[in-house]
Amino acid sequence: MADSNPSPRADLIWALAWIAIGAAVFTGGFTMDRLERQNINPYTAPGLVPAMLGIGIAVLGVILLMRSVRRGGLAAAEDGRTPADGGRLALALGLSIVYAGGLVGRTLLGFHVPFWLATALFVFVSILAFEWHDRRARGELGRGIAVAAACAIGTAAGVTAVFQEVFLVRLP
Amino acid sequence: MFDGLALFGKSLASFADPLTLLIIAGACLLGIVIGALPGLTATMGVALLTTLTLKMPSDRALLVLVCSYVGAIYGGSRSAILLNIPGTPANAAACLDGYALAQQGLAGRAIGISTTGSVMGTLIGMFFLALFTPILGEVALKFGAYEFFWLALFGVIISGNLTGNDPLKGWLAGFVGLFIACIGQDPIHAYERFAFDNRDLAGGFQLIPALVGAFGFAEVLTVLAATTQKPVIHRFDTHFPRIGDVLKYWRTILRSGIIGTFIGIVPGVGEDVASWSSYAAARRASKEPEKFGKGSVEGLMAAETGDNACVPGAIIPVLALAVPGSAPAAVLMAAMIIHGVQPGPLIMVNNPQFVFDVVAMMLFATIGILVFGLALVKPLLKVLQVPREIIMPIVFVLCVIGSYAISQRLFDVWTMLGFGVVGYVLRRYNYPMAPFVLGIVLGDLLDKNLRRGLVLSDGDLTPFFLRPISATLAAICLATILMNFAAVRRVFHAAYVALTPWRKVT
Repeated sequence: MADSNPSPRADLIWALAWIAIGAAVFTGGFTMDRLERQNINPYTAPGLVPAMLGIGIAVLGVILLMRSVRRGGLAAAEDGRTPADGGRLALALGLSIVYAGGLVGRTLLGFHVPFWLATALFVFVSILAFEWHDRRARGELGRGIAVAAACAIGTAAGVTAVFQEVFLVRLP
Repeated sequence: MFDGLALFGKSLASFADPLTLLIIAGACLLGIVIGALPGLTATMGVALLTTLTLKMPSDRALLVLVCSYVGAIYGGSRSAILLNIPGTPANAAACLDGYALAQQGLAGRAIGISTTGSVMGTLIGMFFLALFTPILGEVALKFGAYEFFWLALFGVIISGNLTGNDPLKGWLAGFVGLFIACIGQDPIHAYERFAFDNRDLAGGFQLIPALVGAFGFAEVLTVLAATTQKPVIHRFDTHFPRIGDVLKYWRTILRSGIIGTFIGIVPGVGEDVASWSSYAAARRASKEPEKFGKGSVEGLMAAETGDNACVPGAIIPVLALAVPGSAPAAVLMAAMIIHGVQPGPLIMVNNPQFVFDVVAMMLFATIGILVFGLALVKPLLKVLQVPREIIMPIVFVLCVIGSYAISQRLFDVWTMLGFGVVGYVLRRYNYPMAPFVLGIVLGDLLDKNLRRGLVLSDGDLTPFFLRPISATLAAICLATILMNFAAVRRVFHAAYVALTPWRKVT
């Protein structure tokens, strides 16, 4: 996946983000309750380790910042990660979030969406959507729909049966 | 010695019933399929199977996980040889010579070599697993809070340094992992840290949903975002291994097995580094280095022996120190804890049988990959041709239900989604996942032991640096960091030249 090195510009932006995250973590740890009322040993204060990690993240962020500046990160340059696959990524992310966050275990319009139905819909739409272009080009749309439907029914039935009946998991 | 053999015999006998053997066969086959499919890694496979085996008896559940772990690392060589795509990151080195052999019409021979190497590697690693775990466990009994603190930091720093191609980003990923482990109730006073009055966050992130997200969902996104080509498979010769290859390259097998095992023992480094290191060592020692990368039998043998030897190697520190040697071993360790096995220095005192159970599991897994690797060559070809667009949505369904099944709460599904997106973005910008995961796993160990150590020494830092094991670990951490600076490397090089005038240093 990490096929090519990101541009110094991207590293510079990441470095700034790490410095901000490190500072926030340090502040969170430093200002955390030291439980003095409970008379605890001050070396066991709960914020000690997060504060130290915050410093570590910020310091590494500063080193990354210096390196990216040295490599020309301040010059306006394009990021190496071209969004060539942006459409497919957005589709994958969108379908996944709608399924896992919006359908599984949810009640829509007063109707509790059963797990098997959500799963069947997700698998059917995902397979069809990602194969659409190729199937259409080959004139196999009908076959593509049949394959997607078979996979959707098989997955929904199989996963529901295994988890509900064999593992006794109360499905969402 | 004889006690160990007796325990090993008892473990073998306990697994030798028909149902367990069937489970072993299924797990090995599933592992090989997971490994062979590009996009499904060993870590992802072990994490998903952990959720699928929650309700099984602990010994059988862990048997499934060990067999699938070994199977996946082996299975990854199949797509490396046939498609020039490593099935798991551990098999990248196998692409070089494996695919070159396939292009020459010797795909069958390459499969035979990879099977032989994987089997021999696992057996060598298994031998060291049985030998070293009790010894390391004995040493670890001398560890105190200071040593465990350094061990946790050592794991993150070494892992950050050796995985990926940018140590700075590896350390950042490791530190972020350590911080994520701090979210939720702190392990000493149960104080809620960074929970923002959220009841779910107060419990912290569960390890398995986080790992399923970072390795499973992130991989689903990666594969679906990329357009894939229909795989082209080269013609085949016979895939049965030749005894001549084993006899001719026995030195390579032994060397790679030892290198793989020892790299496995180093926390968080893992199979891919083991494979490349074994490959590089074989090339240096070879009489025919010019053949490497062009279809060298020796190169493929070294790479495949090294990565599979790393599997038992990575389990040695899990058992003896509760510190994982690789990302899949981190998941395996989490699974052991879920199933009530507490790995760590006391395991040889409290549960020595379990160590030899794992050794026996390795032996069964080795037999499994040998049988299925050679018997199911043609069916596995069919599996490789199933489009990723069909497999990945189904894998995502397993990611969702697997995350949910552990505690049956939707927060874990959101955890999986969140870690998946974060994992995808981090990987896209060259932040390796192994130190990130190791940070999450070791965060608790580091946190507790730093604070305990400070209490024991009343704030005095000297025990962290002056006790022998602490001092050694601290020195390795420091040297690892410093050696990444060119100026420090130049000083060391100059000192080396000055101290060894008889060597011609370039």
